[in-house]
Amino acid sequence: MSHTRRRFITALAAVTAGSSAGCLGRPDRPSADDGPDGEPVVDLGVPCTDSGGSVDLSGGRPAAAFDGTRATPEATYADGDLPLRGTPLHLGHERSALVDGDMSGGVGHDGIPSIDDPRFARAGDVELPGCARVFGVALGGDVRAYPQRVLVHHEIVNDVVGGEPVAVTYCPLTGTAQGFYRGGTEFGVSGRLVNSNLIMWDRARDVRWPQIAATGIEVGGQRDTDGADRHLGQSLREFRVVWTTWRRWSDRHPETLVLTEGTDAARNYNRDPYGSYEPPVSGHYSTEAGRQPNFPLLAYDSAESKRVVVGARTGAGAVAFDKRTLMESSVLTGTLGDAPVVAVADEGITTGYVYANPEGLPVERDGDAYAIDGTSAPPDGLPLDRLPAFDAMWFAWHGFYPNTGRVEI
Amino acid sequence: MTTPTDGRTETGPEAPTPRTAPITWIRSLFARTGVAVRGALRRRDGRATLLLVAGLYSLTYLWALRDLTATGPGGLDVFVVSEPITTALTPLSPFLFEAVARIEAGPVVYLFRPVNVALGVGLGLLVGVTLAVSVVSWRGPDACRIGAGAGATAGVPGLLSGFACCGPQLLVVIGLQASAGLVAAMQWMVPLAVASLLGTLLWVGSRVRLDPDYSRHRN
Repeated sequence: MSHTRRRFITALAAVTAGSSAGCLGRPDRPSADDGPDGEPVVDLGVPCTDSGGSVDLSGGRPAAAFDGTRATPEATYADGDLPLRGTPLHLGHERSALVDGDMSGGVGHDGIPSIDDPRFARAGDVELPGCARVFGVALGGDVRAYPQRVLVHHEIVNDVVGGEPVAVTYCPLTGTAQGFYRGGTEFGVSGRLVNSNLIMWDRARDVRWPQIAATGIEVGGQRDTDGADRHLGQSLREFRVVWTTWRRWSDRHPETLVLTEGTDAARNYNRDPYGSYEPPVSGHYSTEAGRQPNFPLLAYDSAESKRVVVGARTGAGAVAFDKRTLMESSVLTGTLGDAPVVAVADEGITTGYVYANPEGLPVERDGDAYAIDGTSAPPDGLPLDRLPAFDAMWFAWHGFYPNTGRVEI
Repeated sequence: MTTPTDGRTETGPEAPTPRTAPITWIRSLFARTGVAVRGALRRRDGRATLLLVAGLYSLTYLWALRDLTATGPGGLDVFVVSEPITTALTPLSPFLFEAVARIEAGPVVYLFRPVNVALGVGLGLLVGVTLAVSVVSWRGPDACRIGAGAGATAGVPGLLSGFACCGPQLLVVIGLQASAGLVAAMQWMVPLAVASLLGTLLWVGSRVRLDPDYSRHRN
C-alpha cells in the first residue's frame, strides 16, 4: 500500500509541478538553498556550514528564575487590555477581502497549542547546532532565543520579556517571525489562514489578527465580550524579532536565554512537519520550481515565490527588499509609498533593518557600522526612524501588499 | 457458504431482494456477513490474515500520522503530559487528538494518542476482517470462492483512510494547492473510509449464500 501511495504522491507532485511551470515563473538565478557549502542559504542570505551537532534542549526553568531578568510584568494592564498602534498599519486590501480570504488551515481552534508557560536555559547549558534557526529577541535588557524547531510545533509563545507581556509568533508557511505586545491578554492559533499566513486570536475578545498584517480583521465566536469591534482595523504594537542562527545569535548575545523543549506538550521536536532548513532546504521551505504556496493568495506575482524578503510597512504603505541582495550589498534604498527608505544589513546576525529616510541622506558601510550624516552608527541604531520590519517569503508579502515597493525583487 | 464460480451471487428462488423486501434483505445481508466473518475467523488462515493485516494497517496508520517516525537521537526517554486524560480527549482537528506521551527508543520516536490508536486499530480490524473473509474464500473449495475482486476492493478504502489521517499537511509536504473545499473534504475522509470499509465488508457478505452445510467447510 505504501508503495502505491508513494507513487501516487510522486505523480501528484509531478502534475503539480508541470501544471504550474510557466505560470508563476522560475528563479532568475540558481536556487540558493541546495548549493554546496559556502553558498548563501535562502532564508539567511549568507552561507551556513555549521549544521552538524547534537541537540539537547531538555528541561529548563521559567525566565523569572534567572537572575537579572525582567520576566514579570512591570506595567499594569486590565484583563483583555491590548496595546495598539496610534496609527493603523497600511492594508494592501480592503479588510473585507482579508476576511473573504480567511480559510481553514485544517486544524481547530488552538489545535496548534501556543506555549503559555515557557521554560528557558542559559546558552551554555544547551546543545544546538550552529546553523539551527532561532528567532532572537533583545528587548528591555532581556535577551531570548526561540528555536524554530520548537516554535514550528507551537507558532506562538506568550512570554514576558523586558517587563512587558509579549507574544513571539512564527508562521512556518510564510516564513515570518514577529513580536507583539499583548498587554492583558494572550494570543492563540485560530487554525485559520489568509495568504497562507497564521491568523492569531486574542483570548480575551477573539479578535482575529493575521500575523503579517498585525491588524484586527474580524471577531470570532469563541468569546462573548463587548467592545471587540473597536479593535477591527486597529493594529498591534510590534517589536523586532531577528531570524538568524543559533551560532550567530549566541555569539552576539552570550547572555541569551534559550527556549527549551520543556513544554507540557508531547511533540516530536526532532521533526519539522513542513520540511527542513538544513541544506539542502526541502519541503515547503524549498525554492524549487513547483514548490508553490499551498493555500490560495489574494494576489499573485511572477517572482520566485519562496525567496526571502525583508519587508516593512507603516500606515502609508509597504516596501520589500530582497534579503540575499541586501546581505551582499549592505545598503539598499527604495520607497515606501512616496517616501524614501533605506535598508541596511547586519550580516553578523543575518538580518536587515529598514529606516525612513525622508531627506534621502546617503548611507555607507563603515566597518561593522554605517556612516550617515557625519556619524557612524550600528545597523540597528541609525539616527533615523526605524520601521517595524521582518523576514517573509515573497509570495506572502506580495499576497498582503500587492502594491508594495520592491527592491531587487 | 457458497457462491457460484462465475462470480454472480446465487440468491436462490426464495431469497429477498432490495426491491421486494428491503428490510428482510438488509437483515439477510448482515446475517450473511456475520456468517462469513465467523466462518473466516474460525479458520487459522483467516485469523492470521486478520492479525497480520490489522497490525500492519495500524502501524501504517501511525506512520501516516507521523506519530511513529525514525527521528530519534538515540537512547531511551519517556515523557507524559501533566493531565493525560483531559489531554487525550482534546481534539486538534477532526479525527486527530492530542498526544499524551512521547516515547523515544533509539532511532524511533512515538507519540501516543489514545483516541487515534483506537481509530487506527478499528480501521485496521475492518480491513483485516474483510481481507480475512476474502482470503478464506479464495483458499477454500471452488464452490466457496468469492473472487479476487473482494480483496482488491477491500484495499481501496484502506488506501483512502491513509490520506485521511494526514489532512492538509499532506498537501503542504507534496506542494499541492489546497482550497477551502479540499480542506473541508479532507475532514470527512476518515468517516468516508469507515463507511467504505463497512460497505466493502457487507459487499463481501452479500456474495455469501447462507448454506446449512457451510460448517462442513470449517477447519
